[in-house]
Amino acid sequence: MDGGLLEPSLYAIKAIAILDNDGNRLLAKYYDESFPTTKEQKAFEKNLFNKTHRANAEIIMFEGLTCVYKSNVDLFFYVVGSSQENELILASVLNAFYDSISQILRKNVEKRTLLDNMDAVFLAADELCDGGIILEADSNAVVQKVAIKNDDIPLGEQTMAQITSKYGQQVSAATDRVLQSAKDQIKWSLLK
Amino acid sequence: LNRRMLSLKRDKKEEEDGGANPFNNLEKSTVLQEARTFNETPINPRKCGYILTKVLYIINQGESLGTTEATEAFFAMTKLFQSKDPILRRLVYLGIKEMSKIAQDVIIVTSSLMKDMTGKEDQFRGPAIRALCSVTDHSMLQSIERYMKQAIVDKVPGVSSAALVSALHLGKGSHEVIKRWVNEAQEAVNSDNVMVQFHALGLLYHIRKSDKLAVNKLVSKFSKHTLKSPYAYCLLIRIAAKLIEEEDAGSDSPMFDFIESCLRHKSEMVIYEAAHAIVQLKNTTAKDLAPAVSVLQLFCSSPKPTLRFAAVRTLNKVAIKHPAAVTACNLDLENLITDVNRSIATLAITTLLKTGNESSVDR
Repeated sequence: MDGGLLEPSLYAIKAIAILDNDGNRLLAKYYDESFPTTKEQKAFEKNLFNKTHRANAEIIMFEGLTCVYKSNVDLFFYVVGSSQENELILASVLNAFYDSISQILRKNVEKRTLLDNMDAVFLAADELCDGGIILEADSNAVVQKVAIKNDDIPLGEQTMAQITSKYGQQVSAATDRVLQSAKDQIKWSLLK
Repeated sequence: LNRRMLSLKRDKKEEEDGGANPFNNLEKSTVLQEARTFNETPINPRKCGYILTKVLYIINQGESLGTTEATEAFFAMTKLFQSKDPILRRLVYLGIKEMSKIAQDVIIVTSSLMKDMTGKEDQFRGPAIRALCSVTDHSMLQSIERYMKQAIVDKVPGVSSAALVSALHLGKGSHEVIKRWVNEAQEAVNSDNVMVQFHALGLLYHIRKSDKLAVNKLVSKFSKHTLKSPYAYCLLIRIAAKLIEEEDAGSDSPMFDFIESCLRHKSEMVIYEAAHAIVQLKNTTAKDLAPAVSVLQLFCSSPKPTLRFAAVRTLNKVAIKHPAAVTACNLDLENLITDVNRSIATLAITTLLKTGNESSVDR
């Protein structure tokens, strides 16, 4: 694995992932062919999770790769690079990843909130890394690019629960209307 | 009875999980069916955004789409360009990128994306460029070349970075076209934005890497403290180290002086990159290594596990060829044997086995 110097290249990230506390994938992006199939990817994620979920150690050499990680409540964040990659570069990407998600979730870094904001989470991952190249490593800049101006509700507040309840309200409003018109019809038929 | 209890338990667990994850047990066919909503007018941005998030979620879970279903979903998605909702638009860009390699006739979105990349909304422009380059093939590249060149020198960092990074991805297949963007890349290296500078240096190097003289010039120009980005510095160190190796030069090379000077940079990332590069070079004496080893020794007592890990791993490499050069670090390495991070502890032990004597390992 210690094959001398690393070819000068912008491609530094092999994968990023967010797993839950059972080691299940919530988000995973693979940027090269290290794990070509979903099956291999998920096996890697499970093994990595088993190695890391109890030891809060921040960095591990695993399957010939360098993995840096961080966890909070029921979420685990990972950034994976080659074993020859500068570990501090990988750590800077992990911090940007974690901090931007934390800002988007308004510091509620947990599974429930993450899933409620999945759209923003996908967008943040996309602003962080493009095809294995670090696109933005400043969490404030990532959040700024994700949160779009001139929107009536800030993205962070626009939870799935609110969306669902909004549609719920629309449905119940519609039901009310139907009931009302039925009542009206009965009323008119009685009056006739 | 026991089995029934178990299955009841499992049901309960699934119920809890389902309650915690609205995306749990999504059926591909159901989600793709829902995606037909995209064809309805007027567009409901919230509803369509939620459905599109579900599509992205199942793809992210590794669900593979067939050509026909991907094409159908892709075309439905193009209808969403009619909505000006910013979140929905951004999700559409993601959807385009995810499906661009599976769906057919994806170039249908070219004009919509070109409109967005040259439009007034700065926040759309970078992501639109990246999506556009994912649907652009070799033969189409010339038609967007003019816009790409403009985007590389754009004042908005997100636009410039997006164009530079996309150029690198495209460069894998179309080196001849990318070569013609060298002037724009050169202008972008002078950017005040650290990421733009990093991406521009990466593109410049990629264009010139087969021309050794040009690479030499590149390093001597930027090694005179003109870079702001630590990422760009790390890249420049790697380029310089590669030149030293190719020229079979030793520590008398000006490239070596540059790398050594980076040991005094203010960013730990750059200092470590320099130390790592020096240690990896072939024609170095123990004396050449000394400053790099002292820096690594210092990092061994850092409160940051990543830095301790990086340091001990690099010292471990030094110990293979120059065990004597690492002896000075033995005490620091001994302290790492009990490190909470097991990788660090293991590396410390294996390094000591190469450098120390029995007494230090016993202690």
